[in-house]
Amino acid sequence: MIDRRDDSDIEIERRFVPKAKDINEDIAWAQINKDVLRSMERPRPMYWVIFAASLALFGFGVFCEVYQYQTGLGVADLNNPQVWGLYIATFIFWIGMSHSGTLLSAILHIMHADWRKPIYRFAEAMTTFSLMTAGLFVLVHLGRVWQFYYVVAYPNERWTWPNFNSPLVWDATAIGTYLTSSIVFLYFGMIPDLAICRDTATGFRRKFYWFLSLGWQGTDRQWANFRVAYLTIACFLIPLAVSVHSIVATDFAVSQQPGWHITSFPPYFVAGALYSGCAAIITLFIILRYVFRFEEYMTMPILDKTCRLTFAIAMVWTYLNLIEYASVWYGNDVYAKETLIYRATGLYAPYWWAMNFLGSVVPFMLAFKSMRNNLTIMMVVSLLLNMGMWLERFMIISPTFAHGYYPWTWTSGWWPSWVQWGIVLGSFGWFSMLFMLFCKIFPTVSMYEVKEMVYHRSEARKARNL
Amino acid sequence: MSGSNTIDRRDFLRVLGISGAAATLAGCGNTAIESGVEKVQSYVQPEDFVVPGVGVYYASTCAQCGSGCGVMGRVREGRILKLEGNTHSVISGGKICALGQAAVQVHYNPDRLTTPLMREGGELKPTTWDKAMATLTARLGGESTLKGAQIAFLTGEVSGHQKALIGNFLDSFNSTHHVVYDALSTATGQAASKAVLGAAQPLLQIDKATLILSFGNDFLGAGVSPVHMAAQYARFRKAPRGTLIQIEPRMTLTGANADRWYALKPGTEGVFALGLAHALLEHGQFAKTVPAPIVAALKEYDKETVSGITGVHADAIPHVAGMLMEHTPSLVLSGPSAEGQVNGAQNAAAILLLNVILGNAGKTLQGQASHPFPQLIASAGSYAALTQLNNSMASGQCQALLIAGSNPIFSAPGFLPFAKSMEKVPFKVALVTQVDETAAQCDLVLPLHSPLEAFGSHVSSYQPRGVEIGIQQPLMEGLYPDTRAFGDIVLDLLRQREPKNYKAFPDYYAYLKLAITKARPVFKSKLSDDDFWEDALRSGVLQLDAAPTALKTNASVVVVSKPEKHVIDVRYPFYFVPSVRADLRDGRHANLPWLQESPDSLTTIVWDSWVEIHPSTAAEMQIREGDILEVQSASGSVRAKAYLFPGLQPDTVSMPLGQGHTAYGRYANGMGVNPFKILNPLFDAQTGELATHATRVVIKKTGEHELMVKDEGATNLQQGRKLVATVAADQAELAKETSHVVE
Amino acid sequence: MSLSNLIKNWSSLRVKRPYQDQYKNADYKWGMVIDLDSCTGCNACTTACYAENNLPVVGKESFSKGQAMHWLRIERYWGEGTELAQFPDHGAQFLPMMCQQCESAPCEVVCPVGATHHTPDGLNSQVYNRCIGSRYCSANCPYKVRYFNWWQYPERAWPNPLEKQLNPDVTVRSKGVMEKCTFCVQRLTAAKNQARTDGRRVADGEVTTACAQACPTSAITFGNMADSQSQVAKIWARQQVELASDKQDKKDEGLRGYRIFEELRTYPSVLYLERVRNSDA
Repeated sequence: MIDRRDDSDIEIERRFVPKAKDINEDIAWAQINKDVLRSMERPRPMYWVIFAASLALFGFGVFCEVYQYQTGLGVADLNNPQVWGLYIATFIFWIGMSHSGTLLSAILHIMHADWRKPIYRFAEAMTTFSLMTAGLFVLVHLGRVWQFYYVVAYPNERWTWPNFNSPLVWDATAIGTYLTSSIVFLYFGMIPDLAICRDTATGFRRKFYWFLSLGWQGTDRQWANFRVAYLTIACFLIPLAVSVHSIVATDFAVSQQPGWHITSFPPYFVAGALYSGCAAIITLFIILRYVFRFEEYMTMPILDKTCRLTFAIAMVWTYLNLIEYASVWYGNDVYAKETLIYRATGLYAPYWWAMNFLGSVVPFMLAFKSMRNNLTIMMVVSLLLNMGMWLERFMIISPTFAHGYYPWTWTSGWWPSWVQWGIVLGSFGWFSMLFMLFCKIFPTVSMYEVKEMVYHRSEARKARNL
Repeated sequence: MSGSNTIDRRDFLRVLGISGAAATLAGCGNTAIESGVEKVQSYVQPEDFVVPGVGVYYASTCAQCGSGCGVMGRVREGRILKLEGNTHSVISGGKICALGQAAVQVHYNPDRLTTPLMREGGELKPTTWDKAMATLTARLGGESTLKGAQIAFLTGEVSGHQKALIGNFLDSFNSTHHVVYDALSTATGQAASKAVLGAAQPLLQIDKATLILSFGNDFLGAGVSPVHMAAQYARFRKAPRGTLIQIEPRMTLTGANADRWYALKPGTEGVFALGLAHALLEHGQFAKTVPAPIVAALKEYDKETVSGITGVHADAIPHVAGMLMEHTPSLVLSGPSAEGQVNGAQNAAAILLLNVILGNAGKTLQGQASHPFPQLIASAGSYAALTQLNNSMASGQCQALLIAGSNPIFSAPGFLPFAKSMEKVPFKVALVTQVDETAAQCDLVLPLHSPLEAFGSHVSSYQPRGVEIGIQQPLMEGLYPDTRAFGDIVLDLLRQREPKNYKAFPDYYAYLKLAITKARPVFKSKLSDDDFWEDALRSGVLQLDAAPTALKTNASVVVVSKPEKHVIDVRYPFYFVPSVRADLRDGRHANLPWLQESPDSLTTIVWDSWVEIHPSTAAEMQIREGDILEVQSASGSVRAKAYLFPGLQPDTVSMPLGQGHTAYGRYANGMGVNPFKILNPLFDAQTGELATHATRVVIKKTGEHELMVKDEGATNLQQGRKLVATVAADQAELAKETSHVVE
Repeated sequence: MSLSNLIKNWSSLRVKRPYQDQYKNADYKWGMVIDLDSCTGCNACTTACYAENNLPVVGKESFSKGQAMHWLRIERYWGEGTELAQFPDHGAQFLPMMCQQCESAPCEVVCPVGATHHTPDGLNSQVYNRCIGSRYCSANCPYKVRYFNWWQYPERAWPNPLEKQLNPDVTVRSKGVMEKCTFCVQRLTAAKNQARTDGRRVADGEVTTACAQACPTSAITFGNMADSQSQVAKIWARQQVELASDKQDKKDEGLRGYRIFEELRTYPSVLYLERVRNSDA
């Protein structure tokens, strides 16, 4: 995939290691700095193509949202039973995306899985930006977005509080906390790298990184404090991440609608979230590897491990999915069963079956090493998995509205309008625009952790060889 | 006629449209908006009952249909906001229908005509009242030389003193051409009823019946006085609960409420009724009720023959006959689907014969009380009158035509060249609140006050108990400076025609007040004239207790011909049943957004026309809901979306009337199509009335498809939920609920 | 309140509504009875509701998208079970459906801002000013009787001079807020204020909803269930339906009263009386 070279690249490309090979343990630390910092200067032209496309999509989304804001939600073709449409479906999707950053950076950090080190930074960024995107949908779907702050518990002269019984308030709180924490975690983990940037940058950039690096000198005392703090935040973040998607699940599980009122929703949602997040990491891994010439750091063995992890999570998700079907099928709730049958046979049946196929069958591609080693296939598979996960959320929302308790309001052919699609596409543009900007401004590969990894590995090899 | 400044008494009474009788007065209550002055008070010096922020109720009478329901208008800050039923009114009983509610939208309609229009250079252009009245006076004022048939006044159902004024106005030309046209006229049924029962419109004592057998009579929907009938129906349903059996080709709202609903082929109602008569007469107890020749002729109406002709299962006949024998008193009604046929009068007579056989006359059927002012009673419209007018216009005889409350260019059948004939009339005046298709063809269009701004009186042709005259009083000041009351305009003309008789009346208010107060002795009121008037305004009604009269039945007029099957024209395989929506009626209310958006009770469709087709027929023809069909008769064709409707005889298609306007404002234009235009020139053999339900059509698929705009969702079944639970009558202990009876 | 106190009294803080005799000492608990045997499906009530509550006419296009704003809709079902015979032999089944004013309303718990909540007189209120339009209430309503302002109706539904008909006692709702049947709360408030001024309780029949007032067959009865002598209270009692119970234990047979989706434990304040059909006919 990556053998085109131009003159400026020659030096780097020459040292290029074969695909199947893991990171070069003998690589000089200065070289790591150089390679990573280089990514912040001159990426491949594809970067600009992606950035321009994101910007265009985002612009279209903004146009749709402004139109909807001015005219009313009627332009989205939402109606009485179908009150949420794609907005909430896509909201869950983005919340789900945010989970794998935490998985890679925090959970695997605690478990000392060192292969995460070159890729956790962008995964963490993905977490932050997908949360920001999800937050947008909370706003976009509101009828009176200009009054969104009513959800916040702020003191006011009338002593009106939000309704603490409402899962939406839990949502707002949980997402707000998670977003703040993951920004802190992302930023905190970047400080040593920002200091490296500061040391090499010139002009206003130097000031920028100087400000952000908070006087990092790399002293022993700083490193010791950093380790403790980083671990603390990681430990704090893990239950938070699990709780966030559990709470999003309670939006549905706590409600009364058939097909939503299911006890197993929180773990099911968390599994789905990790699943779609891992699939998204594969996608971004392949893109970044190419765009920023990270072939040497984002190596095939890392992709291989990520794919295996994704496969495992896919199987967990499949299991929980089947559990959900089974508990509805064998349960006593006739309405929920009716909704399940409707999903499989009604208007949305093609999407439901596609969701099951993409979510449970396609991941078997990840079980084969030959597949895992093919970047093109993995790109396609990861996109398909995410499409499956998006469909899963769509299948939670629309069929229940289309076939709820009240037969009079069963819809026969509801479909979102172009405004909804525009805003959904715009959200992908917004996410990808933010992400691409981040990659250009901040070191996407954690330099100090890669150094650690290389150091530990070479030490380990030495020890073995002795 | 005597000297120039005096009027003799007889003439005076003629002028006022009253002439004596006797009875007592009832009712009083709320406040009257008027104390002799037609002005809404300023808040600087308000009446003590006018409080800003507090709604005050004034009594009036609804003019949306001919029922004459008493209503109460809620007025706040000088604006009429809402209508409720007037509890003083026997007709409305304090209740109100959707149509009545929507009267405020006639008043506030954004498409109302606010200035007079005059035709200049082929186009209607706004003009001033001075010019309009000058034109009107020049043609129809004191100098006019028109006589007799040269002038005609076309109206819809009109009653009370407005009707009297129209009569007087035409009298001054020696014309009797007050043409009343009602596209949904029941003239055929009334003729049959007159012949069989001795009364064109007998009183239906629904609440006294234990069984009602209705042949397409939609008394709960688009029938006569539906609000009153609904209240009676509610009592009919309380313990001991009456049973309703409905037989008709297309389910009406009444049919939808039946205990048992039978579909039969349109036009065979008479055959079915005679089959029932035959079954009944086999039992000795009824033998003496009808003349022997009829009994003999009925021999041929055995259940197999009847079943073969009507398409109803043969067992239904002895079953229904058995029900009729078990339940007395019963009530048998005929309706438009039976009457609007080439043998319509015969059908109706056969149906009403059952009442004679069962001895219902005097029990559930009675004659209306005699009315002290018969000339105020609404006269029944008929198609025959419209044809006459059409001929008179086409021959060039009619020189001047005034139109109010009627829109024949929309509602007359397509084969009648009414618009063309109208072109031959040199002077056509329309008096309207909003321009419609007919007004758009006139030379002068005068903007009227809405019924909520004008005085008037209403005397329905159906008086459910005693006598009730509804007083219509303005519920607010005129919304526009340039509209005038109908009565004022006619009075203006009359003042010019007969100055000595009418110059005493500065306006219609004065005229009406005098006419009402002069009728005081009839109501045996001890109040002064002014108090009597105030009282009438307060209660909104003038009432007189009067006993129902007896009916003189005559079974011998029923013609029993040999039972014959319909001959099917293969080119037009389907019966065509135009259905009447209780809200839109003949289309005159299609300009009211509430009614347009109010889902049709049976199909839940809004803002549109549709073709009802039975699901089994649709399956055969592979028609889905929303497929656009062309419905073609020998007289024309229309296109509308298909709707699969189970309450339909499978050889029948049905379309609702009322839509398809082209010049009736933003809410009516372009909504649906007008099925009046495809009716065939078929007439009832006895009365010559249009046979509205006799047209036959062919259905063609156009291949186009559109989404049906309806309230109903993806299913019309309850899907196992307990939404509308139904209990068998013998399982429910209704008698225990009796204290919940409607008072 | 100290933490230990909170823990000690936790169960009493979590009051389950409704509970037995909740309104025993209350002045008001508004309730309704709809006799489906009297309802003819004539639409008088729905039009009255449009007139009273400033409901916008949305037009053909919006209606076709399912954006109708009828707080009170008349549903029409065919067939006796789940299937329809060739003909609807026993007529159609009409059901006036509006907000059931549930005592344990699914919409109330989920509203993030508390824009819909329970009033002391047993209404499920909707505070337009507080509503942010999340539509969670509608999503959680089993009856789907909540209607959202998808468009800026004040600008499009009442072209001059139709706006002069608007009831000044009722807010005209802007885009982005949820609305629903209020049991004509403006009438109730006015009547309660009047009664309070006179130092008494609102008498039975003194106030009613627009639908009940219009209904030509008087199929709808509205009143104060806290007043045991009111029509509604008597009918509920006669039908042996308990407001605070989710399974009615009826001693007598032949009673017609039921509530829709009682098994969902929403405890609706609207009692329906079964439609009756003479099966011999």
